[in-house]
Amino acid sequence: MERIECQWCKAQNEAGQSTCSTCGAPLDARNKVSDSGWKEAPRLRDMTEFRFSSSTCQVEGELVPVAELNLASGDSVFFEHHVLLWKDESTPLSALNTGGGIKRMLGGMPHVVSIAHGPGRVAFSRDAAGEVVVLPMHPSMEIDVREHAFLVASHSISYSFVRIKGMTNVLHGEGMFMDRFVTSGEQGILLLHGYGNVFERTLRPGEKILIEPGGFLYKDSSVTMNTVQQNVKTGMMRHGMFLAEMTGPGRVGIQSMYVHAGAE
Amino acid sequence: MAEFVCRYCRIPSDPTGPSCPSCGAPIDVRDVVSDSGWEEQPPIRDMAKIAFGGSTCQVEGTTVPVADFGLNGNESIFFSHHSVLWTEPTVTMNAMSMAGGWNRVRAGLPLVMMNARGPGHIALSEDSPGEVIALPMRPGHQVHVREHRFFAATTTVGYKWNQSGVWYTTGQGDDTEYHYPVGYNIDAFQTDGANGLLLLHAPGNVFVRNLAARQPICIQPTSLLYKDASVGMALHIEYPNAGLMSWSTRYSYRQVWLRLWGPGRVAVQSVYERPEGSEWITGTSGATETRW
Repeated sequence: MERIECQWCKAQNEAGQSTCSTCGAPLDARNKVSDSGWKEAPRLRDMTEFRFSSSTCQVEGELVPVAELNLASGDSVFFEHHVLLWKDESTPLSALNTGGGIKRMLGGMPHVVSIAHGPGRVAFSRDAAGEVVVLPMHPSMEIDVREHAFLVASHSISYSFVRIKGMTNVLHGEGMFMDRFVTSGEQGILLLHGYGNVFERTLRPGEKILIEPGGFLYKDSSVTMNTVQQNVKTGMMRHGMFLAEMTGPGRVGIQSMYVHAGAE
Repeated sequence: MAEFVCRYCRIPSDPTGPSCPSCGAPIDVRDVVSDSGWEEQPPIRDMAKIAFGGSTCQVEGTTVPVADFGLNGNESIFFSHHSVLWTEPTVTMNAMSMAGGWNRVRAGLPLVMMNARGPGHIALSEDSPGEVIALPMRPGHQVHVREHRFFAATTTVGYKWNQSGVWYTTGQGDDTEYHYPVGYNIDAFQTDGANGLLLLHAPGNVFVRNLAARQPICIQPTSLLYKDASVGMALHIEYPNAGLMSWSTRYSYRQVWLRLWGPGRVAVQSVYERPEGSEWITGTSGATETRW
């Protein structure tokens, strides 16, 4: 039987489908790749629906998209509490302490993530124009995500975080948190919200790219990230311009809209 | 056969391609002009390429577009340092020497402007949804751009900033406060001996109008994106007819416009800042008035 491979998540789909049943990416649209090798994250069509576990996710709207989940009994998802747009009254919620409370509070990060349990519907959105990025995670995958970009993740994914010292933070100027998502024996789905447009590039082993830290969105854990400083001299003053040096192998995702701490 | 000229950048172009190689504007779209004469600048299509010298600029994305420059070894661009999104390690970045640093700081303009030289790719993006506007510049061309709208330019484009000369005051004596509705400075870009490319970033949508000689138009001051240097500008203040309401109502609801007059091109962006307060205006840099 003829199958179509999704260009974004590589899942196999039945012939005749217009969107990927695993990540929602259009199957009938050309893959957009720039000359420099950045692939655009697929723009999910309004009302696109895809499945994970026994549940479904429908992405609604295009400017600030909403991810609406219909959770089956036994399924659950976790999220930062302020991204919850609406829920059925009967959908149960619980909380999970992430640890590192005071440090995360000082860093502007929530130290408790919320969990919604099926059966029931919940919907999530962030606070600015951008894209929902769907990252299906196979068993034994590890993805690092910039702080405040995580929208929602399925229960089969484990969640932790690391603090990156010296990396200019979008909001606080010193250091940033990076969320870490790991799957073990089961598949999972991770949804991010990227501000502006989102692009992904796969780096070869040893290949390097320098990224403005505010533009970093996610990376495979196999990609190493180091802070490099470019000294910029202007008259009597010297400015340090910090960039994140990413070294492959693995995927790197960036967002085109961010606020540079030094520009405020 | 008549030469095809891009209707947006007015440079001879290839009518068979999907977009103008000089400014990236789509070629196969209908001209959209409002009844009042504003021409809608069509957004540069996702992945459209602009050629300059031996280099290219590819515009990627549509919500917050990225300008991805592929620079050859001889060409360079300049930009504000906060616009860098990513760069290949082969690209050399340096700070441009900027005179008048204190005035730039005072005006809220970036103090550090960067220069990037190829070979390699470097990509820039801004921090709000909108459009990238490409203005190819022929020798002798001069445009004025409202502050903070400059995105990037080839180093063949000369850059200086002048005082806008458009201001009004409120309050008196020690309480006098100066207001600069179009900004304290205005950026001026000029090409002399070589062609150049100027990129702007405009929040919202962009509309362009050609003003005939002495033809006036009033716009919200912060909606100005760019104008040809030949277009004049000054303040225009309108006081509404308050009817039976108190005399102070007329002064509280006054409108401060930027009055522009031709000849030349004017471009506005559809997102603009909320006009400043409503205090009594005590002085201006020169303004026309209408009292309805």
